[in-house]
Amino acid sequence: MASTKVPEVRDITRIERIGAHSHIRGLGLDDALQARQVSQGMVGQLASRRAAGVILEMIKDGHIAGRAVLIAGQPGTGKTAIAMGIAQSLGPDTPFTALAGSEIFSLEMSKTESLSQAFRKAIGVRIKEETEIIEGEVVEIQIDRPATGTGAKVGKLTLKTTEMETIYDLGNKMIDSLSKDKVQAGDVITIDKATGKISKLGRSFTRARDYDAMGAQTQFVQCPEGELQKRKEVVHTVSLHEIDVINSRTQGFLALFSGDTGEIKSEVREQINAKVCEWREEGKAEIIPGVLFIDEVHMLDMECFSFLNRALESDLSPVLIMATNRGITRIRGTNYQSPHGIPIDLLDRLLIIATSPYTEKETKQILKIRCEEEDVELSEEAHTVLTRIGLETSLRYAIQLISTAGLVCRKRKGTEVQVEDIKRVYSLFLDETRSSQYMKEYQDSFLFNETQTPSMDTS
Amino acid sequence: MDAVPVRVLEYLTEVEEAAEDVLTTKQQIVDLDTKRNGNREALNALKNEMSDSEKVKVCFGNMFIKFPKSKTREMIQKDQEQLDKEINDLRSALKAKVNRLNVMQGKPELRGYNLSALSTDEVRAINNLLKR
Repeated sequence: MASTKVPEVRDITRIERIGAHSHIRGLGLDDALQARQVSQGMVGQLASRRAAGVILEMIKDGHIAGRAVLIAGQPGTGKTAIAMGIAQSLGPDTPFTALAGSEIFSLEMSKTESLSQAFRKAIGVRIKEETEIIEGEVVEIQIDRPATGTGAKVGKLTLKTTEMETIYDLGNKMIDSLSKDKVQAGDVITIDKATGKISKLGRSFTRARDYDAMGAQTQFVQCPEGELQKRKEVVHTVSLHEIDVINSRTQGFLALFSGDTGEIKSEVREQINAKVCEWREEGKAEIIPGVLFIDEVHMLDMECFSFLNRALESDLSPVLIMATNRGITRIRGTNYQSPHGIPIDLLDRLLIIATSPYTEKETKQILKIRCEEEDVELSEEAHTVLTRIGLETSLRYAIQLISTAGLVCRKRKGTEVQVEDIKRVYSLFLDETRSSQYMKEYQDSFLFNETQTPSMDTS
Repeated sequence: MDAVPVRVLEYLTEVEEAAEDVLTTKQQIVDLDTKRNGNREALNALKNEMSDSEKVKVCFGNMFIKFPKSKTREMIQKDQEQLDKEINDLRSALKAKVNRLNVMQGKPELRGYNLSALSTDEVRAINNLLKR
């Protein structure tokens, strides 16, 4: 039995996902670079935010390309938040690439390759494209075909703007492309002077009533203003990596489809660098050093660190911002201990910003901001209880409880989260301390338990 | 005592002047382009329609003068070159004027407009990047 399959039509509602740092809109600094206590989603950390603000200004002025910054502090003290704040205040014009330290370990690409790709994604090149165009509304097209049917056609095209009108004599080629594009009186067209390419922008509003029936795709536009022969300039910002990819596509469309560009030869990169430098000297390009943010930088190993050392010295280098929550620990890939798990020689090149744990008042404020972000109403007592939980366990745990408590509250059809809801989720979900407590009590009944394991190896 | 209102007025006058300047330049470009297109039409007409006549009538102000054809064409071509140059100069000046107006109004400066353009070959090479 054959049955035609009816295509299922599903209405996909867009789900706004709320990320851990979606409430951050900037660094929250005033014009004198002083940090406001609560602003743009940032709370507390006044000293480190001010430091980040100074760095931000230097990035904006293009002063510190090729430098590196390390944001160090305990877990949950707003390191990523500060980096996000920097990214937000840089605006869309400065390239910002974020990556986690563990992202570079992949089977398809070597570590240094993915690092150099990340570096080159963080450098923008601004270029300008300039075209001379003729833009106007077609008043009349008149084409004279020879009576014999063969031979050169001649024609005249009348174009106008709101200010002027003129007649162009048409050659054979132009007539062909005009009739191919079905250009008729009332269309607004542009003609590229260099290539002779015609593009239809739409129909003029003044001719909207010419026909009663028109396709839905007919677009109406205003008759162009100003002169007929215009100069159009478009400024593009592309990243060095994008130029690399285009130039390394030796295998044609394959790279496009798989989405995997693979490794890019260093010769290609050198060629691109040379070309871009040439453009810069000719005044054809501006280089915008962007920001590369590496979170969890202690996950990088020794080879990556020495690569970073080298890459920072290149003259096309972005600002590198790293974040780590480790103290003195083993550098990955070696047996040496070092502060932040970063080799001393690299550490020596860094500007270090420290973050400190939040106070009770700040914790309360952050929880309030998160509640607003996650659309959960919290009663005053519940807020106080949650703040205590946040102080005694961790801020992250308290933030997790917001949305879960919100769900419990909705289940009992309440509008505001009460202390009971918090208590309930607190008993449902263990925090890290209670969880390890539980493990210690019942470790005998778990599989594969090894009592004498030391605490987690952090490398 | 009225220092503030006076200063505001001065500032506004300055902005208005700058804006007026931009508009005048734009109008000037339009006028020159009208003239340029008129010249172009004349050149075409000389080539196609007046091919047989020895002398043509040229309008100077409000007077028609009979003039040799080759001389006329030369004259118009010279005028055309002059116009092209003038329009280009005006366009470059317009950019600076718009920037000045933006600065006065506290708007961010247009980025990258002082760059010189890529050549057509270079544009073609990275075209699929630009036409994302």
